[in-house]
Formats: sequence, C-alpha cells, structure tokens
Amino acid sequence: MIQKRLVGVVTAKDGWAVQSFGFGRYLPLGRPEILIENLGRWGADEILLQVIDKSRANAGPDMAMLERLGKLGLSTPLIYAGGIRSAAEAVAVVAAAADRVVVDALIRDNPSEVAKAGARLGNQALIGSLPLSLEDGEARWLDYRTGTSEPLTAEVLDLLASGTLSEALVIDWKHEGQPGGFDRALVAVLPQGVPVIAFGGLSEAAQLRQVLKAPQVAAVAVGNFLAYREHAIQELKADLFGVPLRPATYQRTNYA
Amino acid sequence: MTPRRTIGILDYGVGNHASVWRALHNLGYRCRVSAEPEVLDATDLLVLPGVGAFAAAMEALRRHDLVEYLRAQSRAGKPIVGLCLGMQLLADESLEHGLTTGLGLIPGQVVPFEQARWHIGWNSIEVVGDDPMFRPYDGQSMYFNHSYVFDAPSEYQACLARLDTSFPVGVRRGNLVGLQFHPEKSQAAGAGLLKNIVEGLCG
Repeated sequence: MIQKRLVGVVTAKDGWAVQSFGFGRYLPLGRPEILIENLGRWGADEILLQVIDKSRANAGPDMAMLERLGKLGLSTPLIYAGGIRSAAEAVAVVAAAADRVVVDALIRDNPSEVAKAGARLGNQALIGSLPLSLEDGEARWLDYRTGTSEPLTAEVLDLLASGTLSEALVIDWKHEGQPGGFDRALVAVLPQGVPVIAFGGLSEAAQLRQVLKAPQVAAVAVGNFLAYREHAIQELKADLFGVPLRPATYQRTNYA
Repeated sequence: MTPRRTIGILDYGVGNHASVWRALHNLGYRCRVSAEPEVLDATDLLVLPGVGAFAAAMEALRRHDLVEYLRAQSRAGKPIVGLCLGMQLLADESLEHGLTTGLGLIPGQVVPFEQARWHIGWNSIEVVGDDPMFRPYDGQSMYFNHSYVFDAPSEYQACLARLDTSFPVGVRRGNLVGLQFHPEKSQAAGAGLLKNIVEGLCG
C-alpha cells in the first residue's frame, strides 16, 4: 500500500535557511545544505526546499544551491520550489538535484510552460503551489509577489483536474509558523481526487493525525517545528502510530 | 579479497546522476559517468538511470549512439541495471505520449498505470520467488514516482508493489535487472538492495 508522507521543509532566503512566520517574518537557522542533510538522515519521507526570494526578484531557480545539493547525493527524495520561470528551468532543476519541482508563479504567468515541463519530466514530477486563505468562506489564492489574493482560477483548477500537476501544495500562509495553526478547511476547497500536500502551521501529532485522515491528503509538510529537535521526525511518526506512514528510520552517516 | 568493482553510469542527458553516483560510491564501488563506449566497456556493470518521458529518453539514447551499444552489451551478457525510467526503457515499447519503441531487452510493454493516476511515495515491495538478490528486501519500503508501469510477463517479474492489486516494479532477465523505484532515493533499504543486485550480478 502506498504510504502517506511526512515531508521536511527547509525555507531559504538570501542563501540561508530561515524560520518563517506568516510569509513575512524570518529568523536565520543556518546553511540549507546542513538542514537538508539532517532531515534525510532523520528519515524524512521527502524534503522540500523552498527558496522564497527568487520569484519575487524574477531571478530563476537557485542553481548554485542545487549544484551544491547535487554533490551531496541525497538518498532522500528532494522537492524544489522557487523561481522556476519555464519548462527549461524545471528540467535544469531536476538535472541538478531535485526529484520533483513546485511551480507557483509559472502557473499564473505561463500555464503552457507547466504543460511543457510535464511532457519533459513526467507530470508526476510537478507540484502546484497554492498559498490559500479562507475569507467569508471563499478560498483566496495569494500571489506573494504582489501580496494580493484572488479566487482560484479556472486555469489552475484545470491543471489540477487534468493531472498536469500531480499534487497541490496547499499552504495555509496566514498560519505558517504558528503551532497548530493549519486550517483543515483549506484541504476541502480543491476538487475531489486532487492529492494534497498540506503545509503551514502543522506541528503536533494530534493535529497531523487529523489532517492525514482526509483521504485526499497524501502528505503533510512540516518546517519550523522540525528545526530544533533531532528526533522530531521519529517522535512524530511514533506518535502517529496507526496512520499509514512509513515507519521511522534513522540513517547512519557514511564518511566516504 | 573481493575486487573493487567499477560501475558505469550512463550519461545521456536525462535526469541527474549525482544521487546514483553517491549511492554506489558510498557502497564502495568505483563509478564512471559517461556515454563513451570505451569508458563504459571498462566497467563491470552498467546502470541506466532515467527521469522523465519515455520518448524523450529513447531519443536521447539514440543521440548518444547508446541504443545499439546497450543491445550489444546485453547480448554479450554484461550486467545492466535500469532505474525508474531506465527500467521502462528495457521494454519492447511504451504507450507514453504515443507508441515508442524501447530497447527491447526484456519483453513487455510500458502502459498507463490504471489503478491510480500516479504512484508517488513510499510503498513496500513483494518479492516474487527466491531470487537471493531480492529476497532479503521483501516487505521493505522503497520510493516511487511514476505514472506508467512495465507490464512484463510473469516469468520476468522479480518484485511487485500493490495498491488495489499488485503490479510489477522489479524485473529480471538473466543479467538484466530493472527497478521501477529509486533505490538511490530509498535510504538504507534502497542502498542495501542496490548492493545485493550489484554483487548478485557481478558475483
């Protein structure tokens, strides 16, 4: 049986890993490569690296960081998000280090490039980023470049329904960094059958268990709350006994 | 003392080789990443990695003059391991984005996954038979990321995964092995299986 996933998230800004609060306040944590290596060793099911300053600056993906990560030869699947402007850049990101890519601005700016990326990489490699909030019961999709929100467009819903995007990264951006903050109602705003990676304000096992109960939630992504505890992944998995997750593992370090 | 084995990782411009290289390097193997026959000839085993769409990968193999090379190496009995898309390329043909001819090294067709749109994440494998390369890893979780499957005849099926029903995720025909999952991304379980396969094929 395919298992649900616990995704460890590393957020990077200006080349440094940061702890992020509500898409607006940041505390430095250190070098992204170190945090990513740690998450792999601690048994994360996937690792999401989100580089948050690239799209705003229209600077393209952080290829230098990806090259460094490629040299690490991670044995845990890596998802990359940040700055991808074209199918060619998505392909370059995978060639450098990533197994899957998250697109956000590209969905708004050039959906045909999303389809092209799927044809090159396989649609299973593509994830759509949806920073969402609920206002008066209506889902609003944040464009973090402008700070404005709009209803989900027919284009993005079509990309999800058609399978051009394999999963939706549903981000509760208003509650990001807030313990227990994730609003489970956000999962329900997408059409049935769209697999969801839930992210933003997910911290404690009881809350993760509730979110993972939703059939369309394929994964939960946890960032800040894994940052300071070496055994946080094992502890969370132990506390989530009975949820169809891969059992906790801990890898030995190979000094080669 | 066991001689240090050399692994040839085919570099044909599809996907990244760093994780495969690192996984094999950490297992103690000497690795050569190349598309040059003279480099690949001087290795004990070839690894065919791959990410992306079948047709684009076959075109890339053709562009690097590797299609006939791989067929000749297979006929000569050289061990070859295909990973993920690399496993699918071993098949006769694929239906992904139209019909595309594959390497034709293991009979069968690559077809859309019918039980779900995708097979993404960690799933346990069920080993078929008593092949000692696979048997110790029965029940272990491996990382998958694909939407097409290699519909190989049962005689070539080495391991299966299951959603509603089982489907092949590992194939073997003599010295040819294909793995639908990513052993290089499957942490300790994947590394162990990879070592068993290299030693099993080269031993």
